Amino acid sequence: MSTSPLPGDASNDPTDDQSGRFVRQPNGRVRPLSPHLQVWRFHLTMLGSILNRIAAGALSVGALFVVGWLAAAAFGRGAYETYASIMGSPVGLLIWFGLSLAGAYHLTAGVRHMIWDAGSGLTPKSATSLTIVSMVAAVVIVVAFWAILFMTGKVVL
Amino acid sequence: MSGPKRFINDVKVSERHGAGEWLQERLSSLILIPLTLWGLWSGWALSGAGYDGALAWFRSPVNATLLAATLLISLWHMNMGLKVIVDDYIHRPASRGALLGLIGLVCVVSAAAGVFFIVRLALGSAPLPAGLGA
Repeated sequence: MSTSPLPGDASNDPTDDQSGRFVRQPNGRVRPLSPHLQVWRFHLTMLGSILNRIAAGALSVGALFVVGWLAAAAFGRGAYETYASIMGSPVGLLIWFGLSLAGAYHLTAGVRHMIWDAGSGLTPKSATSLTIVSMVAAVVIVVAFWAILFMTGKVVL
Repeated sequence: MSGPKRFINDVKVSERHGAGEWLQERLSSLILIPLTLWGLWSGWALSGAGYDGALAWFRSPVNATLLAATLLISLWHMNMGLKVIVDDYIHRPASRGALLGLIGLVCVVSAAAGVFFIVRLALGSAPLPAGLGA
């Protein structure tokens, strides 16, 4: 099997690369990956994409919290009230505020992707506009949600 | 490996499994749009409702069914999304395989446990560990 010449020194072995700079193609050859963060000029759709991925990771942890909530409910009053008091504490509320923000942004950014998948909004200008709309909409949804929760007295600090 | 090339509307059809995964990602996203909004509404309904409020909420078959659907489709979507992230950043085949296996296991166990809890709560079963030999 042929491998590409090593760029730079011999310790920089592309066949054992964990930095993501090289990737083994299906035909067995090692090829450099396309340019990454360090050479990109900042643009808003880039930030939108990174935040969407962070939101996805946060929501994955959030899914485990939801299963934990189900378990607490299934294990009876004592377990449920312990869980509710932890999640109703300032730290718990901060976690759920973050999760609701992640959820709202993942939703609006997902809708943005659906619009792109349909073939619309793909010029740089409209892609950036869609990204701004998705970010603002997510913040508006979450602030409104928590404002209602506090105003109705369902959540107290 | 690859069969004869097929075209639909002059667009080449995927020779392997990429198109199926693309469709699954979009399908799960599409279903999750209304379910997420329902989840937000349910979160409002359940906040501060306490244990009795939660039990009453679970006794509604609509709530229990929608929650089970939301959980299962979210875990399906999450499994696909985390796989893409791992594929992007983890390049050593053994590490990648182990991580993907671990993520799959967490998703399957969460799905099974979650549906088990939801069914018990919907049926009004006695609190656990009743019925499990305790």
